[in-house]
Amino acid sequence: MSKRRDDSGTQMDMTPMIDCVFQLIIFFVVTITMQQKLNEDIKLEFSKNGPVPTRPDQTTTVIEVDRNGWISMQGVPLSKAALQDLLKSKRDRLGQTYPILIRGDYRTKHQDIRSVMDICTGIDIWKIEFAAIKEKKN
Amino acid sequence: MARLMGGKDRRKGESPSLEMTPMIDVVFQLLIFFIVTLKQQDILARLEVSRPAPDSRPPPDKRIDELLEIMVYNHKRLGGEGFVLRGRQVSLGELDRQFQRLSQYDKGVSVIVKCTGDSPHANLVKLLDVCAKSGLRNIAVFSM
Repeated sequence: MSKRRDDSGTQMDMTPMIDCVFQLIIFFVVTITMQQKLNEDIKLEFSKNGPVPTRPDQTTTVIEVDRNGWISMQGVPLSKAALQDLLKSKRDRLGQTYPILIRGDYRTKHQDIRSVMDICTGIDIWKIEFAAIKEKKN
Repeated sequence: MARLMGGKDRRKGESPSLEMTPMIDVVFQLLIFFIVTLKQQDILARLEVSRPAPDSRPPPDKRIDELLEIMVYNHKRLGGEGFVLRGRQVSLGELDRQFQRLSQYDKGVSVIVKCTGDSPHANLVKLLDVCAKSGLRNIAVFSM
């Protein structure tokens, strides 16, 4: 009944689909940013009016303080002495004005944040930034 | 030999075809991986403060009424958490109104924030957010 010959199967032109898929993959690869490993348990307070840096400084040191007061950097727990040594070596390399960002859980007591700030002032770093959520995406 | 020299023995009319199926499979696997692992990051604000040395004092030429002193506390006797401005307990909304009024005249006013050790970090951030709303940038944080 079929008019088609037996040896000629229907052929779908895959080229546009492959083009689209490659475009999507290139988009994802390009837009994916190498994120610093951060402590996901830390919940930040909201700040709708806080300034957002237009060009984040890659030299920013992010210090995390969880709700129990534990200090960490890039997911690695640190003692106060270790943090001081680390900041001191970074200050010697980058100078006193390199940015320090404290990611403190909103439930953290100020005394735990204070200990981090005291370490910073102990090595002559006076400018400190606090991270807060401007806009929640997920 | 002819085969080594470039396949001249191929029959006429038979075009070489590339098997696309494995490549499409891999490409789809990659696409699904990227879609599943894609996680949009929250937009973070950065609230800058200065942390004066414990023994630092205000400069002598600075008049005391140019300083705005706010205490962030958590005290049972005072009824839990809150803020104190010029010796009076105030809400965050009232601080907002005061700062808005003040910033109309002088955005360079120095804000001194004094936090008690057991006050939650959230309250300090809320206060800094109110300061940012009013454009007050000269903020120093002390600990008590």
